[in-house]
Amino acid sequence: MKLILALIKRDLTLSMRQGGGVGTALGFFLTVVVLLPIGIGPDQALLARIAPGALWIALLLSVLLSADRIFQQDYEDGSLDIMTMGPVPFEMVALAKAVAHWLSTSLPLAIAAPILGFLVNLEPSAILPLAVAMVVGSIALSLLAAIGAAVTVGLRRGGLLVSILVLPLYVPVLIFGLSASQPGAAPGLTTASLLILGAIALVSLVVSPLASAAALRSYLT
Amino acid sequence: MDFSANHIGFVIASYALSFVCLAVLVLTTLGRDRKLRAEAERLDTQRKKARS
Amino acid sequence: MQFLANPTRFLKIANAVLPYVWAITIALFAVGLYGALVTAPPDYQQGETVRIMYVHVPAAWMALFVYTVMALASAVAAIFRHPLADVAAKTAAPIGAVFCFLSLATGSLWGKPMWGAWWVWDARLTSMFVLMLLYIGYMAIWAAIEEPHRAAMVARVVALVGFINIPIVKFSVDWWNSLHQPASVFRMGGPTIAGPMLWPLLVMGLAYTFLFLALHLTAMRAEIAARKIRQIQIAEIGDR
Repeated sequence: MKLILALIKRDLTLSMRQGGGVGTALGFFLTVVVLLPIGIGPDQALLARIAPGALWIALLLSVLLSADRIFQQDYEDGSLDIMTMGPVPFEMVALAKAVAHWLSTSLPLAIAAPILGFLVNLEPSAILPLAVAMVVGSIALSLLAAIGAAVTVGLRRGGLLVSILVLPLYVPVLIFGLSASQPGAAPGLTTASLLILGAIALVSLVVSPLASAAALRSYLT
Repeated sequence: MDFSANHIGFVIASYALSFVCLAVLVLTTLGRDRKLRAEAERLDTQRKKARS
Repeated sequence: MQFLANPTRFLKIANAVLPYVWAITIALFAVGLYGALVTAPPDYQQGETVRIMYVHVPAAWMALFVYTVMALASAVAAIFRHPLADVAAKTAAPIGAVFCFLSLATGSLWGKPMWGAWWVWDARLTSMFVLMLLYIGYMAIWAAIEEPHRAAMVARVVALVGFINIPIVKFSVDWWNSLHQPASVFRMGGPTIAGPMLWPLLVMGLAYTFLFLALHLTAMRAEIAARKIRQIQIAEIGDR
């Protein structure tokens, strides 16, 4: 357990030192969020209606685009190879790296998104439900993106492929995330959606390390 | 089938598209199979000749 | 060379069985199409358009069935390391993808006259769209990784994760749609699908299934030949 925490800390330190990952994700997020109102036009009411969806999509894309950071570097410099032979089960290694990505990228974005919601005229009453839903959803987002990153880690031009592979996995997260973010909705609906989001996160918690480790091993042997 | 019915074009298009796609699938599958088996056969006899 | 152990037996069986499978396929299509286009009555609401059902529904069934075959084969490959399992999964994918495409396309052609729209994001369409993505992603992995053994290992993961996701997607989109109350709900020929319409549908379903069987066996045979060629070529390099 201590080793796993050490791994997480290592990844977090690396990402903070390099700065690239989080910064890129945040930059992308801001770009979407700023360009959207310009693209939609001055209709404030329309913007307010689509704001939750737009913010979710911006979050999804930012996490997806920053996902290749999870395994790429360690794969390229051979560290991943060494980790397969280490004391920590490789599945836990994969999990630790996905968690590090969540802490460094998805979670901060999930918290920042509702606050930045005013850029897309998000209703103030929607800020809290959106924040809660996004925080819960962001767990699944990082874990699922890790699978895509692992499956394409050895490919030279894996970018498009990551999107094709992860998009089907993101559809349920987006659907339930959105229904959990509606401000005026019946509380039963919000709760149910959040619970299902949580369930998806839990399933991802199991599937992601298994799938990522299996995919990574294929590239490492 | 009443060929003068409403929207009959969509029905014909559906069947035509299905037929074309499946026909192409069948032909390419059979074609690839034939080509590869012939090649495998050829290489096999070539190899047997080289050995004997 | 131990690869050749089981495949030889498979090839023997496939070669023996294939002519019959093709014959049955043709017969089923003949009967099914006759039923679909001649004996089946037009729907009292949809008219002749309902006949699209006989090519749309079997295609949709097959799209789902073939992915299941792919996932099963991938699981067998992962657990038992059976050499033919990967071949089975790899060769099933393009066939399933064509069925999936056909179900989407014929669905669109059915939707336009019925709903007035080429595409709506309703539960079934969204789920089938996601399935199409799963097929494309799976085939892309095989294409992107050059080394066949490595490609097989990664492909297994992709197929299995996708398979887990199919019911999740279906559930989530059903949920989404029950929230949004779709504008029009599709009903097949009335409250239940009656006799004269049912049997052509079932026959067409069987016809598509046998077509898949014939194509799959053929494609597996071709893939085995391809692997044999590759093995011989590698051996030749070793010999010299």
